[in-house]
Amino acid sequence: MTTAPDGVAIAADGLGKRYGSKWALRDCTFAVPQGRVCGLVGANGAGKTTLLRLLAGLSRPSAGHAAVSGQVPRDSAEFLGEIGYLAQDVPLYRRWSVEDHLRMGAHLNRRWDDPAARDRLGTLRIPLDQRVGTLSGGQRAQVALALALAKRPRVLMLDEPVAALDPLARRSFLSTLAEAVADGELTVILSSHLVADLERVCDHLVVLAESRTMLAADLDSVLAEHRLLVGPRRDTSAIERDHTVLHSERTQRQVSLWVRLDGPLHDPNWQVEELNLEEIMLAYLGLGAEQPAKAARSEVSA
Amino acid sequence: MTWLLWRQHRAQAAIAAILLGAFAIPVLVTGSSLHAAFTACRASDRCGGDLLNGYENVNTLVDLTILVPAVIGLFWGAVIVGRELETGTVALVWTQTVTKRRWLGSKLITLFAAALLSGAAVSGLVTWWSSTRNATLESRFGGLQFDIQGVAPVGYTIFAAALGLASGVIWRRALPAMATTVGGYIGVRMVVELFLRPHYMAPVSTLSGLSKGFGPPTGSLNVGSDILLHGRVLGGAIRMPEQCASGSSRPASDACLDRLGYQLRQTYQPAGRYWTFQWIEFGIFAALAVLLTVVAVVLLRRRDA
Repeated sequence: MTTAPDGVAIAADGLGKRYGSKWALRDCTFAVPQGRVCGLVGANGAGKTTLLRLLAGLSRPSAGHAAVSGQVPRDSAEFLGEIGYLAQDVPLYRRWSVEDHLRMGAHLNRRWDDPAARDRLGTLRIPLDQRVGTLSGGQRAQVALALALAKRPRVLMLDEPVAALDPLARRSFLSTLAEAVADGELTVILSSHLVADLERVCDHLVVLAESRTMLAADLDSVLAEHRLLVGPRRDTSAIERDHTVLHSERTQRQVSLWVRLDGPLHDPNWQVEELNLEEIMLAYLGLGAEQPAKAARSEVSA
Repeated sequence: MTWLLWRQHRAQAAIAAILLGAFAIPVLVTGSSLHAAFTACRASDRCGGDLLNGYENVNTLVDLTILVPAVIGLFWGAVIVGRELETGTVALVWTQTVTKRRWLGSKLITLFAAALLSGAAVSGLVTWWSSTRNATLESRFGGLQFDIQGVAPVGYTIFAAALGLASGVIWRRALPAMATTVGGYIGVRMVVELFLRPHYMAPVSTLSGLSKGFGPPTGSLNVGSDILLHGRVLGGAIRMPEQCASGSSRPASDACLDRLGYQLRQTYQPAGRYWTFQWIEFGIFAALAVLLTVVAVVLLRRRDA
């Protein structure tokens, strides 16, 4: 058993997963403190699902190791009782009623908070006797979330839970999640490519790109450390030496740098702009040259 | 797990119970009257082929049980794990506080207990009902009789269930798994029936004159027959010798051939080997079922879900 330092709910150390000769996830190292809501960001195919499945013990790592709530993810009741997992596409038994799912949960788990689940679904006005297949996508996601939360997990893993939902259902799902986190000591890791949603609920961030971890940090420090520097065209080697340039764009007259500050910025000739989470993500995911970032830049220069 | 399995498979169980009932009632009713008629005719020594007159429908129904193993492989074996892999619900179940091992174990026990029970129930009914019919038949080895009576069909049933299970795990989708199950089942059954069954034991041969008539003894499984001339097997088409061709009737020409030294060699499995063959056939299919189940379990545990 790998022991994680106290207060660390999720830890990955050089974690990797290979399918055939292709690495779906590689050199993944990060730690999420207990009680955090961690957003897992990355483009499609960046390894988000693979990482979550490794953390849930549904697949075995090809390299490195993981610890979730102080245990190695594996096929044992001690581990499974500690986690909640919600897979992509929200698998449920479509012909079963919501009630059937609640009863399944009660039968298959040692710890099961039935009143809380019923209460949660009642508040959302989800009829318990209805077949799950006839519910809306948002309602199904809520049912699946209620099931995962009723286990009273220490760590909850959600794989793109809101991707298929309309904005209203998304908001409702995320507020249910936020309430659950406020309740206790639950740690959540939640993958999404919708950065705006993550910004609303997350206070921690892990960024995957091309199967590797690019960034793993507290959200506030992420926002504080990343800046857009705009200035007249000139040599940027001083900046590149002291800080990490994620992305740059140069025109005839000016240069824009998306930078992670590794210390104070001394050069006063740069115009320093704050970046929002989406802009930071785009810089990391290498999409800076495409439309959204251009929009961001024109906003800045306007 | 018991609750989960019952909730998941109660519809299949109900359908199976209804079908079994619908099959058992006519078989039990006609079987009793057939037995009575058979006892009566045997007492007066006047049992004939007309014994089954009026029972044609039930006869057909009984013959149709040849399909039972394939149906069980199709609707139980191929879906019990395959469907859950297809819909992704394994990710839901495997993250409850239930290990994969326990989940799979309960699924296997349910599948094989159900297959064994229903296979045995159907075969038992058919065997009991057919005891009268068998008396009117040349051989219990022939036609469908070997395949629907005794223990062989029970072996087929667990084999079909295991084949469905393995196909479901390999394909991870119910529909191709079902197609594979049917195709594989028919293929294996044909290979065994045509190429293996006649050779489970060294066959018995008898030499006789052609005039003694063709065909192996009553109740046996025919393996083959050859025409011999002076102890040598004649291959290919045999030309009727000139001096016998003029014979006006079949017995006359057969007697003529006997005089020239032609002989008939019959190779067959004697009737007394029926139950040995039944158990050998059961053993083969049970072994295949075990093998396929091991393949399914290993694949499911090794490959990530």
